[in-house]
Amino acid sequence: MDQNLSILIVDDELSVRDSLSNWFIEDGYSVDTAEDAKVALKKIEAFHFHIILVDIKLPGIDGLELNRRIKAINEEIVVIMMTAFASVDSAVQALKDGAYDYVCKPFDPDSVSHLIRNASKHIHLNQENLSLQERIKTLINVEDIIGESQGILNVLEQVRVVAETDSTVIITGDSGTGKELIARAIHMNSPRRFFPMVAVHCGAIAENLMESELFGHERGAFTGAQYARKGKFEMADGATLFLDEISTISIKMQIELLRVLESKHYTRVGGNRELKSDFRVICATNRDLKSMVDAGEFREDLYYRLNVFTIDIPPLRERIEDIRLLSYHFVKLYAEQMNKPTKYIGKRALRALENYAFPGNVRELENLIERAIVIGNGETVRLKDLPLDQHAMRPTWESIDEMEHHHIESILEKYQWNISRSAKALGIDRVTLYSKIKKYKLVKPS
Amino acid sequence: MSLIKIVPLQFSRLEALEELLPLIGSRFKADILLSLHYLDMTQFFDPVRSQYNANEIIRELLPLAHAGDKVIGVTDLDLFIPVLSYIFGQAYLGGSAALVSGHRLENNRYGLADDPDLFRDRLLKSILHELGHTFKLRHCLQPGCIMVSSTYVEEIDQKSTLFCKPCRSELVEYRR
Repeated sequence: MDQNLSILIVDDELSVRDSLSNWFIEDGYSVDTAEDAKVALKKIEAFHFHIILVDIKLPGIDGLELNRRIKAINEEIVVIMMTAFASVDSAVQALKDGAYDYVCKPFDPDSVSHLIRNASKHIHLNQENLSLQERIKTLINVEDIIGESQGILNVLEQVRVVAETDSTVIITGDSGTGKELIARAIHMNSPRRFFPMVAVHCGAIAENLMESELFGHERGAFTGAQYARKGKFEMADGATLFLDEISTISIKMQIELLRVLESKHYTRVGGNRELKSDFRVICATNRDLKSMVDAGEFREDLYYRLNVFTIDIPPLRERIEDIRLLSYHFVKLYAEQMNKPTKYIGKRALRALENYAFPGNVRELENLIERAIVIGNGETVRLKDLPLDQHAMRPTWESIDEMEHHHIESILEKYQWNISRSAKALGIDRVTLYSKIKKYKLVKPS
Repeated sequence: MSLIKIVPLQFSRLEALEELLPLIGSRFKADILLSLHYLDMTQFFDPVRSQYNANEIIRELLPLAHAGDKVIGVTDLDLFIPVLSYIFGQAYLGGSAALVSGHRLENNRYGLADDPDLFRDRLLKSILHELGHTFKLRHCLQPGCIMVSSTYVEEIDQKSTLFCKPCRSELVEYRR
C-alpha cells in the first residue's frame, strides 16, 4: 500500500467513518474523517488530501456541492462519491462534475480496495513522469533472493531490465530453484506493484476445476454455489498473473488461455457478462517448452505468445558460492521462527553442503536446514543433523589417502565415535582404526 | 510472554481450531489459551442484512483482554461492518481484540466439495492476519505474506502462513 497517500472520509454516520478509516489505516494510508461538508472544507484548506471519499447525502451542503467546492480548491484531488443504490443518478452527476468514481454502499470489500489502488496509481501517474520515474535504479523487495554468484547476479539484472516493461516472461529452471521468487521480484519492481501478484499453480489444479479457477463462477452457477467465485484472471486485473508449471495445462485449456491472453476478455462460468481484465503474464516451467512444442504437447501459438523474454535460473549445483549465504539465511529464518538458539553451521557440515549436488535445489537446502534446526541442539548445525543423500555427494578429493581420510571420518561420525562399531563397519580391526585416526589427526568432537 | 486468548463464539469446527493453537502461539511467540466465553450472538444480528455486526462483537470481546494480552473471537457466523458487504475478519490496528469468521472460508459455500484441510489453512491465515493487525501490522504488499489484504477467499489461498521479513521485524519491534 502507499503509505504516502492521505485519505479524508466525509460521512455523517459515525459507524461508516470508523469502519472505513480502520480499513484504510490497516492498508497503511494516513486517514482523517469529517462528519459534514463544513468540517471537511476546513480540513481540506489546512491539509492536503490525495483522496476524498464523500457521501452524497450529507446534512447542510450535500456531497455533490462539496465535490464541486473541492474541485475548485484543487482539481488534482481524487474525489470518490459514496452512494446508496437509490442515488446512482446523483453519483453520475458527480462524475460529470469531475469526481473520479463512485461506489455504492455497502461496498464489496474488493471493489473499494481496487478503486483505491487504481486511484493511488492515478495519483502517481499524475505526480510523476512515469516513463522517467519508473525506471528501476535499485531493485526492491529482493531480500529473499540470496546469492552473490555470477549466475544469480545475471538473473537479477534480467529482472531489472524486464520489470519495467509489460512483456510476458517465461522463467525456466529446475524444480526448487526459486522461480516464484523471481516472478515476485519482477512484479514488485514493475508499475503493477500496487496490485497483488496472483499465482496459479497449474500442476496442482485438477483439470475439471481449472476453468472455474481461472474464469471464476457466478453465484448459483451450480448447486451449492451460494457466493460468486472470483477467477484468477479477474483477481489479476491491474496486476501480474503468475502461471506456475505452465507445461502441465491441458491442450483444451491452452486454447482457452491463448484466447484470453489475446483478447483479455472472458466470462465467468454460469455468467453471460463479458468481463475485461488487464494483467501481465509471467509463467514458469521446469520443462523445455520448445521441445514440448516439437513433440506436439504444447501449442506453438501459445508458446510464441508467451515466449517474449526468458529468464533461466541456474541450479544450485552451478552456484556453489551461494550455498554458504543461503544456509546462513535459512538458519536465521528458522531459528527465529522456532525460537531456537541455532546461529552457526559447523565447518564440516558446511563443507558437506558445498559438496552436495542438491538435486532438489534451494528448496532441498531449505528443508535440510529446517530439519537440522528442528532436531539439532545448541548453537551450531552439525553434520549429523543433515540427512544428505550420499548418492548426491560430489567427491572433492583426488588421492586415495584423502578418500580414506573422509570415509573414516564419516563412519566415525555415523557411529558417534564408537571405535568397535566403526572398525567393524570399515572392515578393519580397532588397532588399525586407532592408527588411522592418528595418521589423519582426526579429533572426536566435544 | 504475552497471552493470546482464542474465544469460539458459535463456532462448530473446534477440532480444527485446536489443531492451530500451537502454530498461532509460535508465530507470535505468545502463550495461547482457548477460552470459553458465552455471548448471546443474536444481539449482533442485523435482520436487513442477515449478517452479524463485527464491530459490536469486538466491543464485547475487549473486556476479556487484560493489559498486553490479545483476544480473538472465532465464529461460524457471516460478519459485516456497516460500510462493507461482508468481511472475513476484523481488528483494530494495535487494539487488543479481533474477530474472524469461518463462514465464507468453507469451500461448499462456493459450490465446491468440502475440504477440511483447506478450511483449516484459510482459518489459520485469517486468524494470523487479524492478530497481526492487533500487533500493529498493516497490510503488506509482499506477495505471499500473511498480511496481504484479502477481499476474496481465493486471495487468502494465495498467501502463505508466514509473515514476510519486514513484517517479522515489526513484530519483533512491537514485542520490545
